[in-house]
Amino acid sequence: MELSDYKPAPVVKLDTLSDVNDIGKPWRYDDGDMIVTRTCPWSPPGCHPVGCGLKLYVKDGRLEYVEGDENHPVTQGRLCPRCIALKDYVYNPARIIKPMKRDRADRGKEDAWVECSWEEAFDIVKENYERICEQYGPESIIGMSGTGREGGTMSLYPTMVFGTPNYCYMQSGYACYTPRLAAAAYITGTTYSEWDYAGALPGRWDDERYDLTEVLVMWGKAPLESNPDGFFGHAVVDAMRRGTRVIQIDPRVNWLSARADIFIQLRAGTDTALAMAMLDVIIKEELYDKDFVEYWCYGFEQLAERVATMPAEKAAEICEVPVEKIYAAARMYAQGNPSAIMWGLAVDQKTDGMQNSQCIIALQAITGNLDRPGGQLMPGADSGHNELGFGYKECIPDEVFQKMIGLAEYPAYCNMILNSQVDMMLQTLETDEPYPIRMGFYMGDNALSNCAMEPKRWHDALVDKLEFCIGIDTFMNASIQATCDLFLPIATVAEREGTVFTHYAPCTVTAGFMHKAIDCGDLPSDMALAYRLGKHLHPERFAKWANEHELVEAFRLGVEDHGKTFDRVSECVVAQVPIEYYKYEKGMFRQDGQPGFATPTGRIELWSTAYNQFGDDPLPYYIEPEFSPTDEHPEIKEKYPFILTTGARVTPFFHSEGRQIPYLRELNPDPLLEINPKTAQEKHIADGQWVRVWNMFGEALMKAKVTDAVDEKTIHGQHGWWFPEETGDEPNLYGTFRSQINNLCPNGHMGKLGFGAPNKCMCCDVEPVAESYDTDMNLIWEKFGKLV
Amino acid sequence: MATYGLLIDYEYCTNCGSCQVSCKEEHNYPVGKTGIHVFSDGPWYMDDDNINYNHWPLVTDLCDLCAERTGRGKEPICVHHCLANIISYGTVEELAPKLAAKPKQFLVVPEYLPREAKGEFVSKGTRDHKAAHIEVQGTGSSTFGAHRADAKVGEYTEDAV
Repeated sequence: MELSDYKPAPVVKLDTLSDVNDIGKPWRYDDGDMIVTRTCPWSPPGCHPVGCGLKLYVKDGRLEYVEGDENHPVTQGRLCPRCIALKDYVYNPARIIKPMKRDRADRGKEDAWVECSWEEAFDIVKENYERICEQYGPESIIGMSGTGREGGTMSLYPTMVFGTPNYCYMQSGYACYTPRLAAAAYITGTTYSEWDYAGALPGRWDDERYDLTEVLVMWGKAPLESNPDGFFGHAVVDAMRRGTRVIQIDPRVNWLSARADIFIQLRAGTDTALAMAMLDVIIKEELYDKDFVEYWCYGFEQLAERVATMPAEKAAEICEVPVEKIYAAARMYAQGNPSAIMWGLAVDQKTDGMQNSQCIIALQAITGNLDRPGGQLMPGADSGHNELGFGYKECIPDEVFQKMIGLAEYPAYCNMILNSQVDMMLQTLETDEPYPIRMGFYMGDNALSNCAMEPKRWHDALVDKLEFCIGIDTFMNASIQATCDLFLPIATVAEREGTVFTHYAPCTVTAGFMHKAIDCGDLPSDMALAYRLGKHLHPERFAKWANEHELVEAFRLGVEDHGKTFDRVSECVVAQVPIEYYKYEKGMFRQDGQPGFATPTGRIELWSTAYNQFGDDPLPYYIEPEFSPTDEHPEIKEKYPFILTTGARVTPFFHSEGRQIPYLRELNPDPLLEINPKTAQEKHIADGQWVRVWNMFGEALMKAKVTDAVDEKTIHGQHGWWFPEETGDEPNLYGTFRSQINNLCPNGHMGKLGFGAPNKCMCCDVEPVAESYDTDMNLIWEKFGKLV
Repeated sequence: MATYGLLIDYEYCTNCGSCQVSCKEEHNYPVGKTGIHVFSDGPWYMDDDNINYNHWPLVTDLCDLCAERTGRGKEPICVHHCLANIISYGTVEELAPKLAAKPKQFLVVPEYLPREAKGEFVSKGTRDHKAAHIEVQGTGSSTFGAHRADAKVGEYTEDAV
């Protein structure tokens, strides 16, 4: 993206919007006695970076209300509940706006926190940081990240501030988005091909360059609730209303299932078998794009041979679906002109997730749907910048970098995302092998309530081994309460500047800017805190930027102009990213400017040279889920007869966030466990009754929702639950371990490349309990409803 | 062809159940399936004295507006049996003025088995982009990197294969 491309995106007005509207308004304007600031938010509150359009109405310095910005080309004024309730987050009585310290001996004691100045807080960091580096080296520091926050996505804290190679996303097998990015990078030479929903085109759906997607495959994805990876979920509805037809592949029924032409309710975790069979049907029936395959793909014959080992009949047995649905889905997908596949989190959350991705990319490729209008939009050679990797070269000497946990064992993982391998990190924490981990910091991550599997194990290791730990967040949470000695508060989206590139920069369609509308005590954004703290610890690394504003400009726009360029271009609020189709024919994928893909063979590598180099099979294969309660695992079947799948998103919450926002909590007050009516009958469970669900790794207490959303063999549990209204003292810790579905999910069961975790294909048993743990919404309202 | 629908005056829906039971008798729907279903909200207090409590008969994707009965010129069976007599059948043109005449009503046009109504998918896409016939060269090496140029993403050459 060139600087000249940062211009206001053309507005496409929704028919339902009144003629009295704010179309064409500048980035800041007066409306009566209010000052309105237009902004595109990204964290906190957490979200994947969609950068929806927001208008922040401020009176006398106070945010009075929030309205969706009709000037945004994709969201067009629409907003989900989480940003509509932004004011209730900003002024929530539980929000923390001053740094706090606590003795290490007082971890787990709510009342032991004492407010301190920023100067003192930074001095505490410095003293501990220097002592620990001196004693154990910078590699003894773990930077813990979750998802959807700038702090954990931009790697400034671990790299430039603390200089540790052990940046660590806390979910086993990095089973979220990155495995898909990695598969795409290895096979296509560029990251993640998103469905082309005309987000980057000035005329949107009616743009002359666009072809409406005829067939959209929703594969293990619930985009309406989650806005996954920066995709505006309701764009799916926009397309359906224009005529797009849907194929849905999911073990769980959702709203889209009822509207899909074909709904394949497969057994959880068997997606790779299904994908191989769909490839086999398309190849055998010669429904593929022969020109594309001949000139732009590598290894087609080998792929054909491999997928022939998984005919539809065999996959139908494995997936427990009618075989005719597999044929119908393969044919319909191949017939669509164009077709696209949205591949979701479920693809990552199994041991053979990388193979599932491999198959999905192969489907997209051989049908000629890659990089075509309405098919899969692919990032060009010039994208994928401005997110990860900041300062690795400058701030982490090679000998320190080489100490990254997992680098030798899982080079594909560690080099791809510049992260220590999380499952090995847990072992390192527990055993001090190959070296001790003694300091930590959370970059906007409530790991123990959300991201970490077997969270009690992580809890014990972190509490025991970390001599010093920092929480960086907007609210107290269970993880910080249990393990931290210092709390550094940060600004919300309303209080900060910055940028938001959809899809974390790969496959960006819009580039948005955050504008500061209010001040809650000069709180820093994550970028700004990294600057302020980094300057305190390593002034030389930050000397070239006079202030945090310049740092944001340098890292997010790639220019150094004392912030002036940022000021100028940010006035556009939201710009569309120029895109091209058929880039492989135009030399736009490769640094050498030649036609082809940026892969060793120059083609889409259906036989993957990368997988091969990293020690995996170059062709896709299916693995039966390790914990499936089937005849293959009679002991599991006997003790834990149900499949447990977890993690489906709901609109009110961003993972573990939002439980303190009364209007959001009201939409989903209790942690729900979905159980089929027949299973409930068999287990004597009533709808709304509390139940215990358990397996060999642990247990959780949840509230039964008896529903046909899951079939008789499957149970689904919500994730991310904790109860900020309860005491945070140990051992309760806001009840985080009570209804914690991750208690039932293990670490250390990833695929060969280190990616993937079986969180969506576990096993369990369930029984009713006599007690009720129903949330008292009056208590929530009393505790969190009076804004400050 | 005129579009038919139901006008429902939910101010007076008492949740008697006659619409649902008559629908099921008419269509022989089993337990768990119906063409009309009453949803309720309340009772809850709007203030010390005012209670919100409403019922809404909502049509499902199994409502065919009693095609067989209406084909014979009769009204749908739910309309016939509704104890409070709050469901009216007619064309949207007939019902719309009645909707305008009184609050706490809604007008609904159901669609019976919408997936079938949509019909089988047949591609109408017209783009005929033939992938160019170019003999591409390999890059000779690959960085497999997803991120910034300053990131140390392992560089591997084909020799390593």
